[in-house]
Amino acid sequence: MILNIILDPAKPTTITLEGRLDTHTAPELDAALDRILLSAGIKRLVFDLGKLEYLSSAGIRCFIRARKILEPQGGKIAIVNPQPAVQKVLDIVKAIPAGGIFKSVAELDAYLDEMQRKVREGD
Amino acid sequence: MLFWVLAVTVPIYASALYMSYQSTAQRLEAGAARDADELAARLAAGIDTVIRPIEGGVRTVAHQLEEVDPPPAQYPQRIRGLLNAWPEVYGSTIATEVRAGDQTARAFAPYYFRRAGAIAYSDLALDSYGYSNLPWYRRAADSLEPAWSAPYFDAGGGETWMVTYSVPFFRRNPDGARALAGVVTADLDLEWVRHAAARVRLPPFTAGWLASPPSAHDFVAPIGESTSGDVEAVRTAAEAMLSKGRTFGLMGSPADRGPYYLAVRNLETLQWRLMLVMSRSQLVAEARVVLLRQLWLGLAGLVLLIAAISFVATGVSNPIRRLAEAVGGAKEGDLDFPLPEARRDETGVLTDALRRLRDSLKLHVQMRAESIAAQARLEHELEIAASIQQAMLPKRESQRLPPGIHVAAALIPARRVGGDLYDYFMLRDGRLLFAIGDVSDKGIPAALFMARVSGLIRVLGSAGESPERILAEVNARLAEGNDACMFVTLGCGTLDPADGRLRYASAGHEAPLLRRSNGEIVVLPTENGVAIGIELAAEYRATEIALTPGETLVLFTDGLSEAVTADGKQLGSERLGQLLVVGDPEKLVQGVLGVFNDRSAGMHVDDDLTLMAIGLAPRSQWIFEPDLARDGVRQAQAWLRDILRAHLDPARVADAELIAEELLTNVARASQGRGVRASLECRPAAHEVVVFFRDDGAPFDLLAQGAPTLDDDIESRNVGGLGIHLVRELADGVRYRREDGENVLEVRLNRKEQP
Repeated sequence: MILNIILDPAKPTTITLEGRLDTHTAPELDAALDRILLSAGIKRLVFDLGKLEYLSSAGIRCFIRARKILEPQGGKIAIVNPQPAVQKVLDIVKAIPAGGIFKSVAELDAYLDEMQRKVREGD
Repeated sequence: MLFWVLAVTVPIYASALYMSYQSTAQRLEAGAARDADELAARLAAGIDTVIRPIEGGVRTVAHQLEEVDPPPAQYPQRIRGLLNAWPEVYGSTIATEVRAGDQTARAFAPYYFRRAGAIAYSDLALDSYGYSNLPWYRRAADSLEPAWSAPYFDAGGGETWMVTYSVPFFRRNPDGARALAGVVTADLDLEWVRHAAARVRLPPFTAGWLASPPSAHDFVAPIGESTSGDVEAVRTAAEAMLSKGRTFGLMGSPADRGPYYLAVRNLETLQWRLMLVMSRSQLVAEARVVLLRQLWLGLAGLVLLIAAISFVATGVSNPIRRLAEAVGGAKEGDLDFPLPEARRDETGVLTDALRRLRDSLKLHVQMRAESIAAQARLEHELEIAASIQQAMLPKRESQRLPPGIHVAAALIPARRVGGDLYDYFMLRDGRLLFAIGDVSDKGIPAALFMARVSGLIRVLGSAGESPERILAEVNARLAEGNDACMFVTLGCGTLDPADGRLRYASAGHEAPLLRRSNGEIVVLPTENGVAIGIELAAEYRATEIALTPGETLVLFTDGLSEAVTADGKQLGSERLGQLLVVGDPEKLVQGVLGVFNDRSAGMHVDDDLTLMAIGLAPRSQWIFEPDLARDGVRQAQAWLRDILRAHLDPARVADAELIAEELLTNVARASQGRGVRASLECRPAAHEVVVFFRDDGAPFDLLAQGAPTLDDDIESRNVGGLGIHLVRELADGVRYRREDGENVLEVRLNRKEQP
């Protein structure tokens, strides 16, 4: 099983991963992330892991690397819909801060709406 | 039936009729012929009886004339006396002899005869008559003897056809010589003769005639109602017969009458012929009439007979037919057919017999149906018992055996259920417990006993008892109250897949065979104890050896070792060993069964047969060496997945895959292209799976690395320790040791995920 990286032009900041993210496929994701992150001004990167079956530490490193690039810019990454096996790995290594993992896209959208509301109220 | 009766009866009847006809005809013919002969004799005698007195009378007159010599004047008186004495006499005279030249004597012949009821007189001495030259006078006068004349018409005398009896009478001359004096006569009127003959009654088919001897004027008087028909032919025949001295015979056929019987008599008095003829064809015709009458009578009898026979026959056959219809109407299994009422004859006896037969058959059928139902029930129960017993045997697919242990077994009961047993299951401590047994007997009792043994082994084994203790405990429970005196030989052992340690105890069971990886067969050394169920308290001792990978333990019951081979001898464990040509338990069992199933091998088994093989897989089966330079991580993951799928749930399999990737990636990274050899070894046990990761790289204890700083700020985070951290977290235990120039990481995964 290989890794499929699906980019939806309608949602330029959402990366859908499908298959296995391991030592072999992590470099592919790194390359793809490089291309996305280099186009500046990205505040939020969403990984949809609904179809990701396998995640090893090599994959975790991709997410950490993305964080290392985004967070200095004030950006954030979010994980959506991780499967139990993947969730378990994420839980163990704590690579994504609490609040960065959402069970579904809808949950993420609700969270984002809330954030925007807070921003507006703060202004 | 009727046909056959007639077929037999009619010919018999016909031949009887024919014989009757024949005998009737013959009897009739013979009787009639005899009658005719007798009749002829009687008639002849009768006529003679009439005529002879007349002759006597005439001769008496002649004698008196000679003795007394009365004067001629007294002659009429005497003549009239004669006529008065014999009314049959038509006329009579005394005619005197007139000698030529004797002038003294003159012709004198007063003739008295009957006419219209009175006596008339005629003088025959008239010259116109001239009696002395007439035959009636001349025959007597010339012969000087009484004589009958031929028929003649007495013209000038009696004036009728007649015959005359003439008797000469004599006178003594003075010289004493007797001289003819005259002739006394008596006439018989032929008309009278004819009437007298016509008055005689003849039997049927008989004709008769009275005939004068052949002369110038034949006289023939038909007797009775006879016609004169062809009397001339008869007369000729009669004359011919008389000339041969015969009086009776069957004559040839005159043209129209056919053969006839002829009886002929010569009358003593008149010298006439009496002829009686009897037509044979008429006699036969008479016989035919009799036959016809008999035939009609016979036919009537036959009709009566047929009627009687058919009455009797239908009386017999109808009840039989009704009986046959009643019995024939019985459909298969339906014996409720009605039988006709029993008659008081042989048919009734048959009906009664059939009724008894039907009733007993019904009873039998009912009993048989019940017996079949009972048998079917028993069969069904046996079926269930067999399936329950089969269910008691361990199922390969439901057994979670460590990959190092392979078990194959087969049990073939001699009957539907058997007394053999085998069992194997994993103990909590990761060892395999196995047992094989053979109950002393076959069939249901053995199966029940076997079930107890099986259950006890499960309970005791699961409780962690050692093989020898299990045997002792099973014995203690079964020996008590073993009234059926059954016993079981039992072998029981444990095998630790981790180190191949085998512990085995035997209760009278035949020692297993051990097949070494090089194919050598040895008998497992055992300390055999007493069979179970015999002694109330028995102790057993176990023996222990270590099985090495590639070795196979073969356990069996005596159904196998005592099977009779084609040469008529028991197979025996030595020859059984020769059948164990492969080490793989599955193939080994199939191979041995194949020999038994092959008819040409001529194996004969009459006992339950059980074979169980337990193999410790060769090392190669649980060790994998990934080529790290070429996608080795993926290969190792696939290998692990295949093995562990049978032992762990999918989440744990995924954990193992992740661990393998992290560790092997680390090894690969640490080797830095120096061609390190790595290997994985998988040892599933009862409750956990241990995976050994080995590499021959430089000594390096991954576990000595510090834990990653997970909660640190992302910027300063040590990413390098993530993998080993994952391994520590996912595994239920990780240990490192350096062994034989290799780094060894021992990773334990519990079968059940720890909460």
